[in-house]
Amino acid sequence: MSKIMTVDVLSSIKGAQPSEAVNKLFEVIKNAQPTNNNSFNINHNSSVSLNDLRDDVVIESSSLEKQLIMENFPKEKNGYLVVSKVIEE
Amino acid sequence: MASQIRKIHQQLLDKEISCTGLIQEKLSLLKTNSNNTVNSLLEHVALELAAKVDTKIKNGEAIGLLEGIPFGIKDVFMLQGTTATASSNMLKNYKSAYTATAIQKLLDAGAIPIVKENCDSFGHGSSSENTIFGAVKNAINHNLVGGGSSGGSAVNVAKDYTVFSIGGDTGGSVRQPAGYNRVYGLKPTYGRISRYGLMAYASSTDCVGPIAKSVEDICILLNVMSGKDVKDQTTYASAEINDASLSNHSNIKTVGYFKNFIENEAIDPKIKTDFLTAIEKIKAQGIAIKALDFFNSDILVSTYYTLAMAETASNLSRLDGSNYGNRIDDKNLKESYAITRSENFSEETKRRIIGGNQVLSQGFSDEIYLKSLAIRDAISENFEKDFKEVDIILSPVTPITPPNIGESLKNPHAMYLSDAYTVGFSLGQLPTLTTPQGTETGLQITAAKNNDELVLKFANFLKNTL
Repeated sequence: MSKIMTVDVLSSIKGAQPSEAVNKLFEVIKNAQPTNNNSFNINHNSSVSLNDLRDDVVIESSSLEKQLIMENFPKEKNGYLVVSKVIEE
Repeated sequence: MASQIRKIHQQLLDKEISCTGLIQEKLSLLKTNSNNTVNSLLEHVALELAAKVDTKIKNGEAIGLLEGIPFGIKDVFMLQGTTATASSNMLKNYKSAYTATAIQKLLDAGAIPIVKENCDSFGHGSSSENTIFGAVKNAINHNLVGGGSSGGSAVNVAKDYTVFSIGGDTGGSVRQPAGYNRVYGLKPTYGRISRYGLMAYASSTDCVGPIAKSVEDICILLNVMSGKDVKDQTTYASAEINDASLSNHSNIKTVGYFKNFIENEAIDPKIKTDFLTAIEKIKAQGIAIKALDFFNSDILVSTYYTLAMAETASNLSRLDGSNYGNRIDDKNLKESYAITRSENFSEETKRRIIGGNQVLSQGFSDEIYLKSLAIRDAISENFEKDFKEVDIILSPVTPITPPNIGESLKNPHAMYLSDAYTVGFSLGQLPTLTTPQGTETGLQITAAKNNDELVLKFANFLKNTL
């Protein structure tokens, strides 16, 4: 994607602007000297071993769970979720 | 203090109190409380469960240790059929479709949930002021903050409105309010308790944590909630901690503390003096003390917030009013997303989402996000090295005493810096407990990964030493 996306578009928040309080934190990182630049994500990740993956099965939700999911629909018509008009760019 | 859970259990067995009476008493205290700790009461379900416990006791049936014990739940956990608002406008009407694993384990053990508790919206804050339900007031002084983000939970335990509460700790959100309200609060080793059903803030440090008034109760709750869960693949199997073993601390020979946490201009002078006095008392018990080098506080805070903001920007991107949430319709889908998120997220939540998207953007990710990941690895390596030399690391919980209500919202950067002593242990994914002793905001006890038992043993030792 060559188009430049501003932070308000990336965040889907109108008029979003970087804040001074947060930028102060980022400045500290920019100026920091990590003791070991090569250690990125090598030793301390929390990834799951391939031998320990859960079974790839579909678990049916209970009827109560389905009913609650539908109750949470912001807009509902005949039991279906209603969404806003989708645009294409 | 002795175990509240065991005390109430015995009172129920001896028929000194009824479970219904106990639940009614707690609900009444919560209803009239002026600390703003309640988002919603679970009156109907709680009284129904209490009646069942009373019937069992009346019929002479055995009851489990947690059966009939009333507890609170930070309002970022799912409990099927009840609202889970995250103290936000976005989810103020959201009903949990399912129940979090940790909470389900407590329900299976017979504990009775009575309240969804006030907190910072989506866990975004250190004072429990970032909430649509009004700022949580400190249990000891109403003018001060309750701490955060699990402020309502810590205050409820401190005031005896709940026997225990379950909070969430991403960068200190259980430990800091526990310290501010002088109760125990544990952040277990990352992965020891399933995160399934805890709203995701920063997934790589999010932990479920119990808040209670004794080490013994923390141990009971940790044992019940721990364990591998297929619904959270970062969980691991852990051995049960025998609470009888907590009195044996003979394997704790050396305690370390970070020099730069103490020799620091930002620390309150009284907290510093009290901490050093505590160290001397431990030394007098024949335990060796070792001063350790560590990363500067500003590096710790900046690394934590950079990663937490990046993760929360991703985790909260699903909240757009499409499938759920307080949708505001506009001319098309994109505009609806934007207006829904702009109007329903608090200023602090928006600040963190925007910061997260900044560091994940092209041009920023290398010099900020990836660098933060590298620093995090260096922090973990530092901990690994330290725990070859010491058994326990002791630190203050906070550099400052609880601020007045209103101060943190005015100065978010100062609020971020107040997390300086808690965030490092989150980045290291280490077990860390706040004990309400030693300084005005308590002490933090940390051990190596998966060594939660040693943390509890040392807390038990401090109980009899300080």
